[in-house]
Amino acid sequence: MFESLKKKLASWLGKPEKKTKAKPKQKAKKEKKAGKKQKKPEKKVKTGKKAKPSVEEQKIILEETKESPEKLEIKEEIEIIEPEEEEVKEAEEEKPKKEGFFSKLFKKFSSAKISDKDFDEIFSELEIILLENNVALEVVEAIRDNLRSSLVGAEIKKENADKVITESLKKAILDVLIEPENLLEKIKSKKDLPFVILFFGINGSGKTTSIAKLAHKLKKSGISVIMAAADTFRAASIEQLKTHGSRLGIEVISKDYGADPAAVAFDAISYAKKNHTQVVLIDTAGRMYTKQNLMKEMEKIVRVSRPDLKIFVGESITGNDATEQAKTFNETAGIDGIILSKADVDEKAGTILSVSYVTKKPILFLGIGQNYEDLKEFKKSDVLAHLGLE
Amino acid sequence: MLEKLSSVLKKTTDKIANAIFLDKNMVDSIVKDLQRALIEADVNVSLVLELTKKIKQAALDERIKGIEKKEHIIKLLHDELIKILGKKKEIVLGKRNVFMMVGLYGSGKTTTISKLAAYYAKRGNKVCAIGLDVHRPAAPEQLKQLCDKIGIACFIDQNEKDPKKIWKKFEKDMKEYALVLVDTSGRDALEKDLIKEIKDLAKLANPTETLLVMPADIGQAARKQAEGFKSAVNITGVIVTRMDSTAKGGGALTACAEVQAPVIFIGTGEKPADMEPFNPESFLSRLLGMGDLQALMEKVHSVMSQEEIEKTQQKLREGKFTMYEFEQQIEAMGEMGSMDKILSMIPGLGKAKIPEGALESQQGKVKNWKAAIKSMTKEEKENPEVLEKQTSRIQRIAKGAGVTTTDIRTLIKQYRMIKEMIKSQSGLVEGKLDQKTMMKLARKFGKKMKL
Repeated sequence: MFESLKKKLASWLGKPEKKTKAKPKQKAKKEKKAGKKQKKPEKKVKTGKKAKPSVEEQKIILEETKESPEKLEIKEEIEIIEPEEEEVKEAEEEKPKKEGFFSKLFKKFSSAKISDKDFDEIFSELEIILLENNVALEVVEAIRDNLRSSLVGAEIKKENADKVITESLKKAILDVLIEPENLLEKIKSKKDLPFVILFFGINGSGKTTSIAKLAHKLKKSGISVIMAAADTFRAASIEQLKTHGSRLGIEVISKDYGADPAAVAFDAISYAKKNHTQVVLIDTAGRMYTKQNLMKEMEKIVRVSRPDLKIFVGESITGNDATEQAKTFNETAGIDGIILSKADVDEKAGTILSVSYVTKKPILFLGIGQNYEDLKEFKKSDVLAHLGLE
Repeated sequence: MLEKLSSVLKKTTDKIANAIFLDKNMVDSIVKDLQRALIEADVNVSLVLELTKKIKQAALDERIKGIEKKEHIIKLLHDELIKILGKKKEIVLGKRNVFMMVGLYGSGKTTTISKLAAYYAKRGNKVCAIGLDVHRPAAPEQLKQLCDKIGIACFIDQNEKDPKKIWKKFEKDMKEYALVLVDTSGRDALEKDLIKEIKDLAKLANPTETLLVMPADIGQAARKQAEGFKSAVNITGVIVTRMDSTAKGGGALTACAEVQAPVIFIGTGEKPADMEPFNPESFLSRLLGMGDLQALMEKVHSVMSQEEIEKTQQKLREGKFTMYEFEQQIEAMGEMGSMDKILSMIPGLGKAKIPEGALESQQGKVKNWKAAIKSMTKEEKENPEVLEKQTSRIQRIAKGAGVTTTDIRTLIKQYRMIKEMIKSQSGLVEGKLDQKTMMKLARKFGKKMKL
């Protein structure tokens, strides 16, 4: 799913893809050697370079085969003394392999303290990687501040620099994400039934589809569930939910179009009480968070249905506006959990970070396809694993 | 919608214009602000970097000096922004027209069809829609309900699961329509099966326009989707929806320009009339706070038929502006969408700070006015001047309409204001107003309009 971000992060950290776990140690060794070599006269390097004119070719071979410690040393030295040439090489290579975070770091400093300015320079590259992967600017800045506070001025030993920096980045990302509770446990532990779940989000974000998927999941786990068609505004929304209902064998409570959505929710809850149904899933009309009257209607639905869980359904393809959407819904209705739909469409993981950051609420599920099974439980560790940070 | 981006762009141009001396620090800070604003607007990151690099180069170019340089930079900024917004395209209807809508799930294809149908029907075309979304539950019903609402013929078959068969079934019936709007399933541009389905459909329906529907809040994924659809079904135009959110549409707008698929319409709300033709020039001028008269006029045209407009104009030319006309105006305003949308198009007013909630209370007032006009006698409607200072009449109307006398008084005030406005500028309704006089008017009446 998050291939592109992972790839880029890996190259930013100076790690080759897939070998994330094996590489760091090797890299640290290299760093050590490079550090020692720094004091030696330039002469040797220059002759070394003359003797082997095709540095580019050599580098490619090096990247691919990873053999011969001797060659590794030479490569390291050239990087240290001739940074300008490094840039040219990058442009010329077929598969541009970016200079890693660490070699860059220790090229600049013989001491292990990072100044503010150095940090800015180093971070600017990560900033672009994050932005390109759809992380909202606001969140990128939060990650930056987080990293800055743990890195700038801190005493970092060269041997474990890799670890320290990876840990800081990991921590910065983990700080943004929130681990979800187990929903099924939560439902089962509630004493006075039913457990009411309310869904909301902007138009076309995938509320109805997500409800059908969740209903299917609950039913499969042996939990009785009904759905309430409280979207009384959009054309054919009630039919849509009913079709899902009949396919899944789940009852749908509905009224006519134009009916008060709060009333539909209320009816469904009373029906569930009577029939001892465990869960009520309430579908609401998609609404633009910029429309005050629609947001007021949302407040009323919340007031009447008093849901145990309020789920915001957003799209994982949403860009910077994701923060605004989540913020407004969180302020007016209060978000308890999040479902991000269309996660199969976009391999970028940015929206996950953006939405988690502004709401400080867990992402419960990711919608990853068109079938009822395509609802994936979200785990914090998954994101880290995907990013090659675990 | 675009206030934040707009204010940064305005600030940027102001900063450049007011700078006595453009040194490196200054340029750096301007470029940084600009980058931030554009990235927040979801414009593709590499595009942003490219653009700001150009600005920086121009700013630090020693060969251009003084005032010339500032103008040069501002013009460069304008031109570059126009470039990333893409070219303008207008669809000219031929004899047979088939528009096929494609796009991601939930991007607004079906809603857009109803808007397109209303748009072209209002302009005197015979329009029908056909529902070929066989995947999402109740998609055909949705299209049918929307079409029924605006009185457009709609062809659907809920039981058929092969879109090609549905097309063939209705092919003959659709022959008598000048414009056929084809609704298709939502799909990911990178999913092979669904792309094959749409390719086959395109072969069969042979659309004159293939329109990609994209939401304004899409982020950096926009480019890949635009590219995918373009290469699969040769997109001829794009409609950007959800422009009424706080999203700036940067992702959608610029991605489309990049793959050379011009944006034709933007969707700005849930009602059938909430759609505007997209013009990069006027969109940019709105961004820069210069208003967009063209869009306003377009809006007027999409809610009033040509005949109605001519009739009103005739009356106005004769110097007649009665409550009948006023009522019509109010109604048209209501159909045009919310007040804030209209205001943003009037030069000068877009910038005005309007207290939150004021616009909604204004819309409430308009509702009361409609009721009040209905409670007037024929004489009062034709000659509203009789109402002035006649408390008994005002009280009677207030009672009849269930509103307060203050409401009636504001109504009369508003009526007088509009009448005066029309008298002083009869060009308004004809759309022949130039930007300058409009600015003047806006300033004049902006003060009077008490919101």
